[in-house]
Amino acid sequence: MEAPAFDLNIPEARADVPESAPQEHPHILARDFSVFYGSNAAVRQVTFNIPRGLVTAVIGPSGCGKSTFLRAINRMNDLIPGCHTRGELIFGDQNVYGPQIDVAALRQRVGMVFQKPNPFPKSIFDNVAYGPHILGIRDRRKLAEIVERSLMRAALWEEVKDRLSDNALGLSGGQQQRLCVARALAIDPDVLLMDEPTSALDPRSTTRIEDLIAELRGTYTIAIVTHNMQQAARVSDFTAFLYEGWLIEFGLTQQLFTRPKEKQTEDYITGRFG
Amino acid sequence: MQLGTRRLLDRAFSGLGFISIGLMAASLLVILTPIFVRGFGAFVFQGTIEFRRMQLERFERGDRDEIEAELTTARRARQPVYEMLDAFDTEMGEMGFLERREYEGPREELEDALRELLGPRPEDPVPVMARDQYGATRWDRAREKIDLVLYRTEYDYSDRTRMGVPVSVPRVEDFRGTALEALFDYVELHATEMLRPRWTLYLRFLTDHSIDAHFFGGIWPEVLGTLYLTLGAMIFALPMGVVSAIYLVEYAGEGRLISLLRTFISTLAGVPSIVFGLFGLAFFINTLKITESKSLLAGSLTLATLVLPTVIRASEEAIRSVPTTYREAALSLGASKWRAIVTVILPASLPGILTGVVISMGRAAGETAPIIFTAAVSVGKALDFAKVKFWETLSEATPALPWNIYNLATEHEAVDEIRHVQFGMVFTLVMLVLILNATAIFLRARISKKLRG
Amino acid sequence: MEREQSPDREQSPDALAARRSDLLMSARASRAKRVVAFAGQSLLFLLTSSSAIVVLFIFYFIFKDALPFFQLRSLGEFLGSNRWYPTASPPEFGSLAIFLGTGLVTLGSIVLAVPLGVSAAVCLSDILPFGLRQAVKPVIEILAAIPSVAYGFFALVVFAPLLQESGGRLLSVAVWLVGVPICGLIVIVLSESVAARLPSEQRAGGRIVAMLLLGVLTVWGLYRASRGAAGLEIVSGTNALNVSIILGIMALPTVVSVSEDALQAVGRELREGSYALGATRAETILRVVIPAAGSGILAAVILGIMRVIGETMVVWMASGNAAQIPDPWYNFLEPIRTLTATIAGDMGEADHVTGSARYHVLFAMALSLLAISFACNLASEWVVRVQRKKLKG
Ligand SMILES: Nc1ncnc2c1ncn2[C@@H]1O[C@H](COP(=O)(O)OP(=O)(O)O)[C@@H](O)[C@H]1O
Ligand SMILES: [Mg+2]
Repeated sequence: MEAPAFDLNIPEARADVPESAPQEHPHILARDFSVFYGSNAAVRQVTFNIPRGLVTAVIGPSGCGKSTFLRAINRMNDLIPGCHTRGELIFGDQNVYGPQIDVAALRQRVGMVFQKPNPFPKSIFDNVAYGPHILGIRDRRKLAEIVERSLMRAALWEEVKDRLSDNALGLSGGQQQRLCVARALAIDPDVLLMDEPTSALDPRSTTRIEDLIAELRGTYTIAIVTHNMQQAARVSDFTAFLYEGWLIEFGLTQQLFTRPKEKQTEDYITGRFG
Repeated sequence: MQLGTRRLLDRAFSGLGFISIGLMAASLLVILTPIFVRGFGAFVFQGTIEFRRMQLERFERGDRDEIEAELTTARRARQPVYEMLDAFDTEMGEMGFLERREYEGPREELEDALRELLGPRPEDPVPVMARDQYGATRWDRAREKIDLVLYRTEYDYSDRTRMGVPVSVPRVEDFRGTALEALFDYVELHATEMLRPRWTLYLRFLTDHSIDAHFFGGIWPEVLGTLYLTLGAMIFALPMGVVSAIYLVEYAGEGRLISLLRTFISTLAGVPSIVFGLFGLAFFINTLKITESKSLLAGSLTLATLVLPTVIRASEEAIRSVPTTYREAALSLGASKWRAIVTVILPASLPGILTGVVISMGRAAGETAPIIFTAAVSVGKALDFAKVKFWETLSEATPALPWNIYNLATEHEAVDEIRHVQFGMVFTLVMLVLILNATAIFLRARISKKLRG
Repeated sequence: MEREQSPDREQSPDALAARRSDLLMSARASRAKRVVAFAGQSLLFLLTSSSAIVVLFIFYFIFKDALPFFQLRSLGEFLGSNRWYPTASPPEFGSLAIFLGTGLVTLGSIVLAVPLGVSAAVCLSDILPFGLRQAVKPVIEILAAIPSVAYGFFALVVFAPLLQESGGRLLSVAVWLVGVPICGLIVIVLSESVAARLPSEQRAGGRIVAMLLLGVLTVWGLYRASRGAAGLEIVSGTNALNVSIILGIMALPTVVSVSEDALQAVGRELREGSYALGATRAETILRVVIPAAGSGILAAVILGIMRVIGETMVVWMASGNAAQIPDPWYNFLEPIRTLTATIAGDMGEADHVTGSARYHVLFAMALSLLAISFACNLASEWVVRVQRKKLKG
């Protein structure tokens, strides 16, 4: 095996994650799961488990179906006409595409942070309070408490605590993205999905988001899509490599990057294509 | 073709484009200038003592003592005119029958002209009509009245192939050698002392009621009627338009039914406004009988149907331009679709919707044809929701700026006497519409700024 | 949900936990949800269809009141005669002159608005720099926003007296203003094509001679025309010419903005392709851009026509309202009468309680207007669709 094309510095804390974590503590299970746009398959019969409380990265070349897979988990693909699925996707113990699933309740458990920061054109406070408000919390004091806690968790509190009523669009890009994280955390989800959360940010903001992920690790199950392999290596415990909709390889991040089992994975991580 | 010629043609072609743009701007200028200049004259003009007397007597405005003192001075200046008339009357009494007959007509005409200029003689009984109680209230009108005193019009029929040509003849010729001979010079020289013109700012023109079919006073009933009609139309059109737009953007697919619906909406946008008027009459009044005859309610409903397609289009565009990412963010937080629309999409598209609404308001305010048969009357009191029951006010007909502009300019019994009122109304209406449009432009600028972040 | 696996996680606050609904809905709840969603959508659909219902109602009510006219009188009389004596006894309702009046002012205003509007649109989309374009936009918006009664008032109170007193002089000035640039262009092109036929050594001289000859000829023609115009006697300022000019100005914003959109939709590639072949801007626009945007410009013309035909106040106030066919038919200096003005003016006197033919004939006219505008609307939609297909395919 060749050495990986870049430095792998896997943090100490993650060195002892057992390889069996996905089997022993699965949180989201894909079984022969496919997603179609009309008749085109974007995700093809993938089978793997996302472990609870850990960070799982999904990597692969552009257009390989990473976003599609991620958005399938909280059923954001329902918005796209003609998009349908086959196989099973299990969240906890429920089939996400089961007939009686309450999609709103599902999305409250599975939060999402998008590629481009997308705060509402409202105040910072109202952005974070949006989710709890939907849950029916109207008490201003309780809302304030939730907003504060969420902003703290997203490591944004110190920066914005004096201007909570300012328009969120006045924040910098990195701050906006952390605000989006806070907004997702405010309804206390079990899972956090992040679709290339740093691709629109500068390096310094990227570092802050990565630090944030490290902090949230353990509290939330996190699935992060990235096309940046260093990032996947830095933040994730497990990595799934998708190629043209197929799941090529899934395993411990350290192993996948140092000793890939598949030729395609190796080609990809050594930069031979993609 | 030679290169030089081709270049020349190219230049000429660009020149044509510039010329047409210039013509367009010029026509706008040509149309707006008289409206602005003369419309402004309804608010700022040289008012005579008669104007101040009218304001005092009719609206209780101004310092009574001061105005009465001024009036006394003015009347003293007018006294010689009346004395000359009286002297002439005595003179006439001494004439023979035939000679007197010859003078009677011209004297009558002269007295009428003088009455229009100065008002009735102070010792005469007060006339019934307000218009006969005062002389010329505006100096520009007064100058025309002075002309009427000094000259009379005769028609010259010497050229048989053409129509009679009007010729001015000085009246003084009619009275050569009589006591009246000096009157004309006196009037010409002492007109300012008799009428005492002074620059006047009459902003209350906007909020005064009219006196004697717009001879005096302001245009408040029309302004108020227009405002109520416009607001009424928007109260119906806005919710319907926004809801339709929401459906078309967020829920409707691409089906046959939907494209038929869209065709219907664009058809509605193309229906001539006069047809809306007939429809309003035939449907709201004659069929539904929501009110017995013309009314504020019927007019508002008719205008609402007229602006509905505009509101729908503007709202559709505004809603469509809200980034999908907002929608996704709301849904990903567990909001239902309707909830996302109400809490995120509508607020984000509000400025755009308001832009459309404000432009539609301008359209509704300026439309005449739809309200001719459904709401507008020529003479009426200002609507007053406070005094009468709400419903009764709704079922009242009302004057409105566009209709009364038409009416005063074509059907009024003294069209030429009240040009300033007509121009004042047109000016007010155009300003109203322009202000609404400026608001729209301002809103649009704010949106694009907001979207840029 | 079990949460033991993440021990360092603080328990979710009571407020949130309590409000969280189950992931699974009961069968009843899910059915209820679907029913509510369906009912909500149907309600929205119904509200949206109200515009369609209004259109149908308009057609129905206008048709309902128009029909009795054709039963009481005849279509032949309506369209075949120009004897409009609705108050005579027996009354006559020949509306031919009124239809022709509408046609005449439409023709007049379109002849004015289309060349002016399209060249302004070309200038806006291809010639003016961005900053100037932004300055011209408000002019168009204001022109479109001014209420029609204000235009009508201007036509009646300002323009009509002007036309009556010095119309001849105005017209002769207009002849020069319009004639000189257009004839100038024609002279250049003609003399160029004459020169092209000559052998090359005579070309330069030939061009100059042709230009001189043609130039003298045109100046003489223009002089004659302007003398003729100056000699015209305008009996009344409220006539077809007045109305056509004002309506032309009113139609301008529609024509300009719709055709500008069409020109912009043509896209850079086509233009650049033409420039690459060495064409000048004028040639590119005339040979490439305008043909490509043709149907969009046609749609602009149709929409302009709709605006003119449906306009009421201007024609009512300033057309003279004489139900007569001008003599000769193109004599724009005579007063005319249009459909819209007839409806507006006669409705007040017609009696809708007894429902006389006098009342119903106005609805017959409204029906004609409605039919015309509907046809125009369909035509413009069709044209736009063709355009879109052409640009795509
Ligand atoms: N809304 C859509 N409709 C149809 N096809 C889509 C849509 N979104 C994505 N696709 C297709 O699905 C495939 C996977 O896309 P995506 O999941 O966005 O890729 P990635 O996020 O890995 O770059 C691509 O081939 C793309 O063309
Ligand atoms: Mg993606």
